[in-house]
Amino acid sequence: MTETRKLRVRVDPQVCVGNAMCEAIAANTFRINDNRQSEAVNPDGDSIDNILEAAENCPVSAIVVEDAETGERLFP
Amino acid sequence: MVTQIQGDMFTREVIADPYAYYGKLRDHDPVHWNEAYELWVVTRYDDLVWLTRHHELFSSAVFRNDPRGPYPAIDESDLGLYEYVKNYQADQFIQHDRPEHLEMRRVLHSYFTPKSMESWRPFVQAAVKELLDAAEAKGEIDVMRDLATPLPVLVIAQMMGVPAEERPYVRELAEKLLYIGRGEGDRMKPLTEGMRGMIEYVEPMVERRLVDPGDDFISVLAHGEKKGVFTRHEVLVNASLLLLAGHETTINLICNGTLSFIRNPDQWALLKQDPAGLAKSATEECLRYDSPVKSIQRIASQDVEMRGKTLRKDDRVRWFISSANRDPDAFPHPEAFDITRHPNQHVAFGSGTHHCLGATLARVEGQEVFKALAERFPNLQAKTKDLEYQPSITFRSLKSLPVTWH
Repeated sequence: MTETRKLRVRVDPQVCVGNAMCEAIAANTFRINDNRQSEAVNPDGDSIDNILEAAENCPVSAIVVEDAETGERLFP
Repeated sequence: MVTQIQGDMFTREVIADPYAYYGKLRDHDPVHWNEAYELWVVTRYDDLVWLTRHHELFSSAVFRNDPRGPYPAIDESDLGLYEYVKNYQADQFIQHDRPEHLEMRRVLHSYFTPKSMESWRPFVQAAVKELLDAAEAKGEIDVMRDLATPLPVLVIAQMMGVPAEERPYVRELAEKLLYIGRGEGDRMKPLTEGMRGMIEYVEPMVERRLVDPGDDFISVLAHGEKKGVFTRHEVLVNASLLLLAGHETTINLICNGTLSFIRNPDQWALLKQDPAGLAKSATEECLRYDSPVKSIQRIASQDVEMRGKTLRKDDRVRWFISSANRDPDAFPHPEAFDITRHPNQHVAFGSGTHHCLGATLARVEGQEVFKALAERFPNLQAKTKDLEYQPSITFRSLKSLPVTWH
């Protein structure tokens, strides 16, 4: 996996409980919105490792990470 | 509409059927001032979600920020013990606000990710099998005593790295810690015995893990101490928090869920058709329908307006999961136990930054128990209709649940 890989990152608003751990781990990628739920605002904001760590640490598995070009599912 | 609502939330009727009492509040006075216990009672789903996601307005440091005494009242001679309990509880990471809460939670979080908790499933399956094998040999069991209570202790003891021969002692301590959520006037004595016992028991383990860390939960806490995030007292208190939080809640999920199936034979029949396929959605419905935790408290950090009421800074605010999970504005036919319900965005684990850290573990334990019961005891039925609940405002805890399957 190289750092130049482009990602597609989504947070499912039906699932997100606003735990905000993703924002703490990858602050440039995730932002807590007015509903107090997470949104992926910039898939290039943090390193791939950080973004995957944020996804893995979501307590309700609301974050989906894919390769933007190939569509390969990287998480979950 | 003015509705007279009696103030005692610990009467036999309210404890037996919280849904009628808190449902009435939800319908007529959703942000209700309870004069008897000097606290706000918040009962609607949307309000609960809003409140839990505005952690800056509602402090979780309840024991530090609430100068009022315990409720219901305790024996006057035990007020010294209550001070001990307050200081003990105040060091739990859940009793902190940001930024400290985030720093503490980050230390623990990676241990509890959904992926790593999922890896405990085979251990949980084996523990359920062992307990049900013993039950089968007896021909009848008390689900509370013989299944729901020992299962989470087996799991947590393993997570803490407790040797098998010391598990009965840890279970003894765990049962004393359960008094935290009870209403008896003399509850402080067993509770402080449990707390002191845990501190004495865990401290040498922490010493060993500081020198020789493993992949257990005590090592995670010891690492937090090394990093300067936790004091030693915080390490010890949070080790017992794992034992307490993972114990009582799982007991209630298993007992309340089993009872929901016994009282809804159509749903039991449905689960039996496909136990493996339905265990997940069934567990979610058990969590919603008769939630293990009834309510949680916060302290207002500033004056807050909610539904035309002004909650003053330092007021006690209690949000009721058990009524939010039956809110008709959030769930169609909320009084129906429907194990195929979808979506099912219940708030049994709370919401926001304090969302239950052990949620995935509780789910795994519930799923494995309900699946195994449906597979092994298809004729499960209660031995008595006279079931009683612990006098707690926090937990929905049966005192016992004797069942047969003949």
